Amino acid sequence: MLEAKFTEAGLFKRIIDSFRDCVQLINFNCSEKGIAAQAVDDSRVLLVSLSINVEAFEEFRADRNIVLGCDLTNLSKILRCGNNSDNLTLIAEDSPDSILILFEDTKRDRVSEYSLKLMEIETDFLEISDMKYESYITMPSADFAKTVRDLSQLSDSINILVTKDTIKFAAEGDIGSGSIVVKPFTDLDHPENSIKVTIEKPVDLRFGAKYLNDIIKGASLSDTITIKLSEEAPALFQFDISSGNLQFYLAPKFDEEE
Amino acid sequence: MTVGVTRTRDIETLEDAFQDIKKQRTQSFDRSSLSEPVSTIEIIPTDKFKKQNVMGYKSSKVVDPTGKGNPTAFEQELSLMDHELVEKSESGQTKLWSRTPIDADFDPKLSDISFQQLDAEQAQLSGQYDSNTNVVIRFFGVTDKGNSILCNVTGFKHYLYVPAPLGFHQENILTLMQYLNEHYENNVDSIKVVPKQSIWGFSGDAKIPFLQIFVKNPNLLNKIRTGFEKGYIQPNDKWFVGGCTTYDNIAFPLRLMIDCGIVGMSWITLPASKYHIVPGAQRVSTCQFEVNINYKDLIAHPAEGEWSSNAPLRIMSFDIECAGRPGVFPEPEHDSVIQIANVVSIAGASKPFIRNVFTVNTCSPITGSQIFEHEKEADMLKHWRDFIVEVDPDVIIGYNTTNFDFPYLLDRAAALGVQAFPYFGRLSNVKQEIKSSTFSSKAYGTRESKNINIDGRLQLDLLQFVQREYKLRSYTLNAVSAYFLGEQKEDVHHSIITSLQNGDSETRRRLAVYCLKDAYLPLRLLEKLMALVNYTEMSRVTGVPFMYLLARGQQIKVISQLFRKCLQIQTVIPNMNSQGSEEQYEGATVIEPKRGYYDVPIATLDFSSLYPSIMMAHNLCYTTLCDRATIQRLKLKLDEDYIVTPNNDIFVTSKIRRGVLPEILDELIGARKKAKFDLKNETDPFKRDVLNGRQLALKISANSVYGFTGATVGKLPCLAISSSVTSFGRTMIETTKNAVENKYCIKNGASHDAVVVYGDTDSVMVKFGTTNLEESMKLGAEAAEFVSSLFKNPIKLEFEKVYFPYLLINKKRYAGLYWTNPKKYDKLDQKGLASVRRDSCPLVSIVMNKVLKKILIDRNVDGAMQFIRETIDDILQNRCDISKLIISKTLAPNYTNPQPHAVLAERMRKRDGVGPNVGDRVDYVITGGSEKLFNRAEDPLYVLEQNIQLDSIYYLGNQLQNPIISIIAPIIGEKQANSMFIVKSIKRQSGPVGAASKQKGGLMSFVKKVDTCKSCKRVLRKNEGPLCADCMSRSGELYMKALYDVRSLEERFSRLWTQCQRCSGSLHNEVLCSNKNCDIFYMRVKAKKELQEKVVELSKW
Repeated sequence: MLEAKFTEAGLFKRIIDSFRDCVQLINFNCSEKGIAAQAVDDSRVLLVSLSINVEAFEEFRADRNIVLGCDLTNLSKILRCGNNSDNLTLIAEDSPDSILILFEDTKRDRVSEYSLKLMEIETDFLEISDMKYESYITMPSADFAKTVRDLSQLSDSINILVTKDTIKFAAEGDIGSGSIVVKPFTDLDHPENSIKVTIEKPVDLRFGAKYLNDIIKGASLSDTITIKLSEEAPALFQFDISSGNLQFYLAPKFDEEE
Repeated sequence: MTVGVTRTRDIETLEDAFQDIKKQRTQSFDRSSLSEPVSTIEIIPTDKFKKQNVMGYKSSKVVDPTGKGNPTAFEQELSLMDHELVEKSESGQTKLWSRTPIDADFDPKLSDISFQQLDAEQAQLSGQYDSNTNVVIRFFGVTDKGNSILCNVTGFKHYLYVPAPLGFHQENILTLMQYLNEHYENNVDSIKVVPKQSIWGFSGDAKIPFLQIFVKNPNLLNKIRTGFEKGYIQPNDKWFVGGCTTYDNIAFPLRLMIDCGIVGMSWITLPASKYHIVPGAQRVSTCQFEVNINYKDLIAHPAEGEWSSNAPLRIMSFDIECAGRPGVFPEPEHDSVIQIANVVSIAGASKPFIRNVFTVNTCSPITGSQIFEHEKEADMLKHWRDFIVEVDPDVIIGYNTTNFDFPYLLDRAAALGVQAFPYFGRLSNVKQEIKSSTFSSKAYGTRESKNINIDGRLQLDLLQFVQREYKLRSYTLNAVSAYFLGEQKEDVHHSIITSLQNGDSETRRRLAVYCLKDAYLPLRLLEKLMALVNYTEMSRVTGVPFMYLLARGQQIKVISQLFRKCLQIQTVIPNMNSQGSEEQYEGATVIEPKRGYYDVPIATLDFSSLYPSIMMAHNLCYTTLCDRATIQRLKLKLDEDYIVTPNNDIFVTSKIRRGVLPEILDELIGARKKAKFDLKNETDPFKRDVLNGRQLALKISANSVYGFTGATVGKLPCLAISSSVTSFGRTMIETTKNAVENKYCIKNGASHDAVVVYGDTDSVMVKFGTTNLEESMKLGAEAAEFVSSLFKNPIKLEFEKVYFPYLLINKKRYAGLYWTNPKKYDKLDQKGLASVRRDSCPLVSIVMNKVLKKILIDRNVDGAMQFIRETIDDILQNRCDISKLIISKTLAPNYTNPQPHAVLAERMRKRDGVGPNVGDRVDYVITGGSEKLFNRAEDPLYVLEQNIQLDSIYYLGNQLQNPIISIIAPIIGEKQANSMFIVKSIKRQSGPVGAASKQKGGLMSFVKKVDTCKSCKRVLRKNEGPLCADCMSRSGELYMKALYDVRSLEERFSRLWTQCQRCSGSLHNEVLCSNKNCDIFYMRVKAKKELQEKVVELSKW
């Protein structure tokens, strides 16, 4: 039996919306630690990994491990039916055919109940071993989102170049080129606006703009984004939520490699 | 469980062994590695197997010391052929090659020569003038005794017609001639005034004077023609002012053939003493006879009676093998030709009398064939060239020879500097050269191709023939032979060839057998498809030379017939400047279908050859097209002397003048009737196919006459004819519908009201309302007769068949059970459904056929639904065979929008160095991902190798869903049908991960698979066994299941492997096959992969 209650339906909705464009089918693994989910997009370039810890829920109960296979397009259809401020409860049996989604408007005593048919998604469970990265960046997620959006208009790939005291985003396309340089600084009043860079070695990587555009949808979850980079290894883009996180592992592009 | 551990160790060691083999052979896409029997043997390894593999392709001396110990089926076939020739071959096999010498008692003064001409071309004889011209038409042919002949037809002068200007008299001829000769290089030979009529329009029977202008050099004729048309020729201020139309524009060889009554592939007799043997010094060819004759002296025979036979033509089929470099398609600049196999047969003989292989380096003997070993490639090429000249084949065939083998040989010889090589035509001094051309025709699409001039020898590339005549999913030699001959062959990938060549004489022998088979198969296809016979017939019916049939479109056939007819009736054909006008005319009519599923008999009434019969019935032709002014002038009477078509065009009736086109059609349809009649009486299934092919060819020819008049870019478009034809067609369908519905209604005493549920172009489907099959057949026949009586002869409505039950989906889309007699249905007929279309994957047609069969024949709707559900599950669970998911499309030269197959072709070119060419069919599957669809097409073999996830949702939603819903919705309802396609369960593969991933630095190479519970798929904790704590209690049961899975996969793989061994005809050699068109191949590779996975999984217990 699973019972997971969010204080605000908006949170779960934002979480789902932030990765439903890159993966359509996903298994949610519910255990006593919380809810975790992970999927690779079909072109095998981007891996999404979500974990929502027990602390993020108002109430949480999972007697056994339960796997919920969902089509995210359909799930988000249902999530759109509730108000952001509603309480949201997910209820499922031990080996469920469907999941029950409950919206409670606490002020008006209104309860809406939906059920979503589940799918059996047979897939391998993957993990990326912890690795040491060569550079770490923390920056405001809104800034990062704007940077990606702007540069992706020029080209279908964006370079991220990190040196000791600058981060340079650059794109070169048929119509022209563009680059954005940001430098680390600390805002004591608003720490979320700070930009931090820690590097061991400068890195210069190129990513598909299409995938970056998928990643920045996570900006609604958190004010900051953490980016970890290494040469010739997948980069990690991480958004933290109150307790848990949403991680995107993205493989860099290599020159003219098919 | 300890057993499992030792097993894993075995796999590791063997895996190492395979790594070594792979290093030995460095081909980057060596597909052979897929075909080794890895998995089965991995589990129970034997020493013997290991040895064979480590030795690679070198034959194992222990098993097979001679290479002849275990002959393949094809080798046995070859050796059988030999026994019949043993005696002859003892006297020296090379003597068999050349033709029989000319009869000893041959005397040009006394002996006639009769020969079948194969090819005609224009040539010039230096210094030999006959009737003022040295231009001749050269006929190549073979005499009835099998001697080759080159016959120069001399003295014929090309000509054109222009209308004589007003007031032109006989004495003006000289003036005009002088003028023309001054301006046009003294080229005009003579001018005649002849009474002729233009084909265009009827304006009474009076003929008007035309000037027939003869020239000495046909090449300059078009200059004079342009001069007349543009008005450059103005001998005085009255004649030809502003230009005038010229008449009779046709190629010189065809002109001569028409004027002499010679049709393609016909016989010509040269009467004794009328021809002259060309003396030795002046001979230009290698033919046994080389003669000159004046065109007036030769006797052309129409292809009838004794002259309808064929000469004993020598047909040579060949195939070459090239040693490519790893991963690159062979290029003539770098990669050598290593083997050429030849098979030569005489038309009509049951077995080829020459079979040999030319090899570079040594090669072990093959029973039944000769081997010619050469140390150097250049020597082999020279020898092969000498061989052709010696054998002197009349027809050279092969598979893709025009675009691959010949160009490759010529380029290779040039690269090696073998000067003597490109002279294997019959003209000893004419070099063979490659020309690129683009052939574009409405009927056949656009193809890029090469042309090689091999003077005097016909070329028939079976690939081009099959592409033209048959619509297949795949055109590889293998697929084509499987389809027509029911015979598969080993498909050796070109990258393996090099390693076979670099082995020893035994591996080269293996290659030689393969090469020989590739040379033999085209010959078998030629016989089976009656390609030569059918094309000969077509060439005789339409009068064009044989080579035109492959190289030219439909129009030339109609033109040839038109000119031949016109010559007889003193009519000339204007030279129209065809500029493709955009003018459109209304086509055929389609009665709006009353869609649905009919569980009652639906009778189908057809107009037989509708358009030709309309043209014949109403005498529609260029020569009968008339106008108001002429009608008034000649005081013609409506309906008696002329008719007005529904399109408001006027044509005179056959009482006034019989049209040319109706006459041509009459002949074609007469010939077709005869073929159909023969077809009915023929019992031999193969001859039936031939007759069926012939009647279809005649039908196409008849229908193309209509198309010719409507082709706005054509030679002689006449929309008045074509739109009149369609307008007649439209009114006739309407008339039929009304007549049937009015006659068979309750008001008139019928039991039900008849309803026309659908009608298209030339047929109507009638629901008479009765549920009785027999009765509806009776009514159908009756109605057809009744309606036929409403129309003019030879228009005839025929009752052909009853559909029962009948599923009408949309315009031009329907299916039904086809009955021609009330006892037993004939077949399941489908029109326009995805199942008969080639642009979706085979799975769609397989499923649709099965569903239709269940619904229409078995009447088992529940079974059909169950089957659909199972199929959907199979797709989502990746259980579906990849070969069934392959989509193939023809590559066109350019696309405005990116197309999946075009993008893939480009990608393959980059990746492998070669890609499909324009005109080829590209095979692809759609892989998963969020990219645009056109970027997700991939080569099925590559997908198999890389274990890429297919987009199962795409296959479900975009391929299967709509066609299936369209056929089940009328039966179970739209909503029900849609609900079947909701995804409930799906499987995703993540492909190779970690070090196994081929993408260096890609995401997957950093990923590890987390062990999950074998039963409930939950992530396992550290040190937890194959099952999680919750499932542990069911351990025994689950282990049994896993064992059972491996067992059944093992069995499956073994069966597939055996199948491949059987197909390659040998149990002792490895299977090298990587046939892209073979279901078994894909199944085998897939079964192998699955088995490997399962074995690894089992090892974790």
